[in-house]
Amino acid sequence: METSFGITGKGYVIIAADTTSARSIIKMKTDEDKIKTLSPHLLMAYSGEPGDTVQFAEFVERNIRLYQIRNLYALRPAAAAAWIRRALANSLRSRKPYGVNLLVGGYDTASTDPHLYWIDYFGAMTEVPFAAHGYGAYFALSLLDRYHDPEASLEEGLAVLRRCIDEVAKRLVIDPGKYKVKVVDKDGVREVEL
Amino acid sequence: MAFVLPPRSAHAVGQQQQFNPYAENGGTILAIAGANFSVIAGDTRQSEGYNVQTRYAPKVFRLTDKAVLATNGFSADGNMFVKKVRQRLEWYRHAHAKDMSLPAIARLIQSMLYQRRFFPYYVYNILGGIEDDGSGTVYSFDPVGSYERETCRAAGAASSLVQPFLDNQIYFKNQSSAPGSPHPTHLPLSRVLPLVIDSFTSATERHIEVGDGLEIYVVLAKGSPLQGLETVHGITELTSGPNGERMFVIRRNLKRD
Amino acid sequence: MSIMDYNGGSVVAMVGKDCVAIASDLRLGNQALGVSSNFQKIFPITDRIYLGLPGLATDVTTLKERFRFRVNMYTIKEEREIEPETFAHLVSSTLYEHRFGPYFCEPVMAGISKTPSGGIKPFIAATDLIGCLNFAKDFVVAGTASEKLFGVAEGLWEPDLEPEDLFETISQTIMNAVDRDAYSGWGCIVHVITKDKITTRTLKGRMD
Repeated sequence: METSFGITGKGYVIIAADTTSARSIIKMKTDEDKIKTLSPHLLMAYSGEPGDTVQFAEFVERNIRLYQIRNLYALRPAAAAAWIRRALANSLRSRKPYGVNLLVGGYDTASTDPHLYWIDYFGAMTEVPFAAHGYGAYFALSLLDRYHDPEASLEEGLAVLRRCIDEVAKRLVIDPGKYKVKVVDKDGVREVEL
Repeated sequence: MAFVLPPRSAHAVGQQQQFNPYAENGGTILAIAGANFSVIAGDTRQSEGYNVQTRYAPKVFRLTDKAVLATNGFSADGNMFVKKVRQRLEWYRHAHAKDMSLPAIARLIQSMLYQRRFFPYYVYNILGGIEDDGSGTVYSFDPVGSYERETCRAAGAASSLVQPFLDNQIYFKNQSSAPGSPHPTHLPLSRVLPLVIDSFTSATERHIEVGDGLEIYVVLAKGSPLQGLETVHGITELTSGPNGERMFVIRRNLKRD
Repeated sequence: MSIMDYNGGSVVAMVGKDCVAIASDLRLGNQALGVSSNFQKIFPITDRIYLGLPGLATDVTTLKERFRFRVNMYTIKEEREIEPETFAHLVSSTLYEHRFGPYFCEPVMAGISKTPSGGIKPFIAATDLIGCLNFAKDFVVAGTASEKLFGVAEGLWEPDLEPEDLFETISQTIMNAVDRDAYSGWGCIVHVITKDKITTRTLKGRMD
């Protein structure tokens, strides 16, 4: 029952993902970090087919890093998201497609605004003010419709995230457990405690 | 050929063709209620797949002096259902010496449909007519008897083409009214008839199962004026007695391709 | 459940008097779950041509990028802007290249083309997912609400509408059609293309 959230606010993006790694009915691990820092101002939460997730995330991580090394600057969020999407879209029509869903959140240092992209394993991508993957989406999206504010401070943003996490914990048959929460803003990426 | 049983073959071991008791015979029906009238219409093509079985198979039926029933879906079920409703209405007349009211017919139809909950009449019904208070009325049903009184409803093969058009033109959906003059809840007959005809010509144009002929039943409440009906071409009056509701049918041709 | 209905969405294009219009909804969904209310499916190709791509969202984006690339290559090689008729055939052949493993999109295009005598002619076209062209004289529709769009458009459209009347006609058509479709809606966008101007309006719609 993997769940991940993304919320934009005034000058920041919050990305949160549960930390459970499960095989069938067994919890194998409860401190898995499913959010990669792709570049100084870019985060990516990944979930889906076990095995594919880490493989694809590391593939993306290294290619984004390679671009930065070659060009001496990082891709902006829109460009990085477009590249990642294309990688998934091409994979979809390959012999063994990656079954990975993504939330890509970044702070554009050039235009100084936050961006959040919802991407599914088909390679469907859309920029959104807030997003969720997994069963949590069915609970969180309606809460976010009600409580999301694009002008909210980080504290307010984290409070809305708290609501989402609590609702999923309360109503989903299996509680996803603890979450890892990361924020990206003008100062870069950092992990925060809820 | 839905009702031909497949030949039993000794070689067909392990798999068996299932007899399908239903067919889908195309066509579309629609009804619109006015303040003091009701219009119930249907095309007359009956088809199965790409085969036109007949160009004239009525699916709009007069039940009483003030009630009209349109049926759509599996026409054998439709015809049988109308026959049974008429029988029940006749029994009612013998018992009570009067015609059943519209809400009562609607509830009767619900019971008759729900009785067959697990082997349904594969028919969408729309009942139109005049209520006891003289207002025009439309009741629409699903095949197992869920029903609702409405102002307008389309059903059948082209219902998805016609219903959103009616939403726009009858309910004025997505249209804002001028300040101080809200949209009318009922349209006059002079607006309704062209909308019905346009709906069917549009459906005929874009749906292969709709066409050939159009039958529009108009029921006028007791003592209401003709509202221009006298000038409509192709109209026949079906009214039975002098001072009661008046009933008319308008027959038109639709494209036959 | 068809793959064409997985994300939902609908597009319609109409011809008017010396003008054309193209409109779409703004929903992107995952089956019944709505994800975005600002998913663009209509893209400008040139100053005079707009392309609508309803269907599987991943292919909407991929095809948009592919057509941008191919039209840029055309413009560089030919040193001129592509004509709508030519573009329609480019769309058709691009889709037919994938005849046995298609992109799950049904493109709809609208534009203004030039006649040999120096006049202008409104142009619309649509194809199926493998590129079968349909050059209609009145209107073309595609997407999950296509049946509803056919019904309303057939009832509302008339020949030689002026740009403002065409805008009203196409707007009423798409709004009333998507309101009866669970997979389309969440707002609409309408582009009206005339000889020397393109008007784009975003329509507020029901959010259910």
